Amino acid sequence: MTITTQTDTAHKVINMTTKSEETVIETKQLCREFGQGDTLVKALSDANITIERGEFTAIIGPSGSGKSTLLQLIGGLDNPSSGDVFLDKKNISHMTGTELSDFRRDHIGFIFQAYNLIPVLSARENIEYIMLLQGVSASERKKRVDMLMHAVGLEGLGDRRPAELSGGQQQRVAVARAMVSKPSIILADEPTANLDSKTGADLLDMMKDLNEQQNMTFVFSTHDPKIMERARRIIRLVDGCVVDDERKA
Amino acid sequence: MTNSMQPPIKLHNQQGSAQSSLISRLAKRSIFRNTRRTLLTVLLISCSLVAILFTDAFVRGMVTTMVKISTQTFLGEGQIHQVGFRAANDIDLYIKDTDALYQQLNNIEEIQAYAPRILTGAMTSSSENVASAMVYGVDALKEAQVSKLKLAMTQGDYLSNVDGEILLGEQLADLLEVNLGDRLVVTVSEAHGGELSQALFRVSGLFSFNERTMDIGMAFINLSQGQKLLNIKGVHEVALRLQHLTQAEDKQLPFWQALNNEQLETLSWQELVPQLSSMLAMTQYSTLIVSLIMYILVCLGLINTMFMSIFERHTEFGILLAIGTRAKQLFYQIMLEGFFIGLLSVTVGLILAWGVCYWGSIVGIDYSELEMSGLTLNEPIYLVIDAATFFYMAIATIVVTLIACLYPAFHAARLQPSFAMRKTL
Repeated sequence: MTITTQTDTAHKVINMTTKSEETVIETKQLCREFGQGDTLVKALSDANITIERGEFTAIIGPSGSGKSTLLQLIGGLDNPSSGDVFLDKKNISHMTGTELSDFRRDHIGFIFQAYNLIPVLSARENIEYIMLLQGVSASERKKRVDMLMHAVGLEGLGDRRPAELSGGQQQRVAVARAMVSKPSIILADEPTANLDSKTGADLLDMMKDLNEQQNMTFVFSTHDPKIMERARRIIRLVDGCVVDDERKA
Repeated sequence: MTNSMQPPIKLHNQQGSAQSSLISRLAKRSIFRNTRRTLLTVLLISCSLVAILFTDAFVRGMVTTMVKISTQTFLGEGQIHQVGFRAANDIDLYIKDTDALYQQLNNIEEIQAYAPRILTGAMTSSSENVASAMVYGVDALKEAQVSKLKLAMTQGDYLSNVDGEILLGEQLADLLEVNLGDRLVVTVSEAHGGELSQALFRVSGLFSFNERTMDIGMAFINLSQGQKLLNIKGVHEVALRLQHLTQAEDKQLPFWQALNNEQLETLSWQELVPQLSSMLAMTQYSTLIVSLIMYILVCLGLINTMFMSIFERHTEFGILLAIGTRAKQLFYQIMLEGFFIGLLSVTVGLILAWGVCYWGSIVGIDYSELEMSGLTLNEPIYLVIDAATFFYMAIATIVVTLIACLYPAFHAARLQPSFAMRKTL
């Protein structure tokens, strides 16, 4: 794996070797700027990142360092000012809105900080939602939802609306929703930020197990030391620049 | 679970219906997320629909009432005159061959009844006073089948084909200071030369059409005596009562052509009182104007409501877009929410409107003594419910609701997921 970072004052190249051979995420000279003229803010500068399949990666950095921006660009939720994002060798930067929607639906799972479930749908319906968009058969939907409800420990709570669930339970539903379409990448923005430490740790253990069992690629943005402890790889951002990339043994 | 980017298991033939069902479910549940706001919006649209339908029913009722008052009181739905009579108001221009005309009228299916009349300006003199009046000589029996003269009698007796009978409007009687049985001299100019002709009458009855100009300016005598007084053997006017009012509007009906020739001029009530038909035509625009104003208000109210709802759900829409909902599907969801609100509003509006209009059609709205275009509304206006209008306005309301939702739906569909979710992912 090669990580190249550029800042206005310095260039730093970190060369690392990984065992995996299949690149899932690759960004090239990725930049995102907001505003213009005197108010121009560079949220992300020339980020070149490659992430292999099955990695459990944490993106860390202080507030405003560009973590969320990077995840948004990787997830196709925002358009880069320049540069490209390749997911499984496909350049998503040039996809149309509909192509991108379908790509996200079929290949990326999202877990958000504030749970962000659809309040008018039950837990089961929230998990089922993406499969309905995909046109998965009713029997297959039921099978997958039952399996995931069991996996995240929410059996018997399927008919509850999000407002009737605790924060931890809601985030478990969000994890199940992210995984139900069998995506190859799961992007998570501070998934434990709104959870107490025990619930957060349980959730992380659950995701770690899924990562190991299913070989799904997890990318987190986080401040949470517990995630950093569990991550096999930590990418550090400062002022929109990748300044460090550490892979644990 | 798979770990590669292989397509999910799909059943394409089920995809459309499953997605439609999902969008429909989301839309239905979303409109009741803020029940109070939805109900207020429904109330706004329903009340607008009620106002539109009430206005329409009221205008229809008013038109019906005014036409009824105008035609049934005395005018008739049509009138036959000798050509030139109406333009010159010349008593010498009268219909001479009345027998042939009556026979022709008897054979016309569309004509339910007719009433021959002579009419002339006259000076009426009592022992106390003198007044000018329009004196009509009428066939008592036939007149009762066409006009409301017999029904308008307030005192005394209706005409009975006996010479010397005269019916006076109440206000004319007051002016002349006469009562039932009092003597009255009527002076007219004879036809063919204009010699003065006088006859003595006894007031046999008083009438009131509840119409000032008629009650102070009209007197009725028997047709035969009127003909003698004017020295004519025909009639000036034949008022027609048709089977249906609509036949007066349909000038393509053969009898209109048959009764218009070199000698006779036959006109419908619209032609006899064009100012009334013009006024009624303009009145019908009021429904259109009220509809436009109401629908503009509905649009603004609904756009406001939908935007409030959308702004509250920005994050949610961001999530939906992020997890693979297409912009088009989000657009349909918002449109469907608008459709459901419209459907609910129309249902409530139609029920309320029917209740109000039905009540108005039974009880009527009293506008007595109000004068419009020279016509006194001497009976209540009964609302007229038109089922077709209810149907079309219901459709129009739903269409307007959908139009009002277009802008908010486009706004939601064009949201950038990252912007919509702001500081979440």
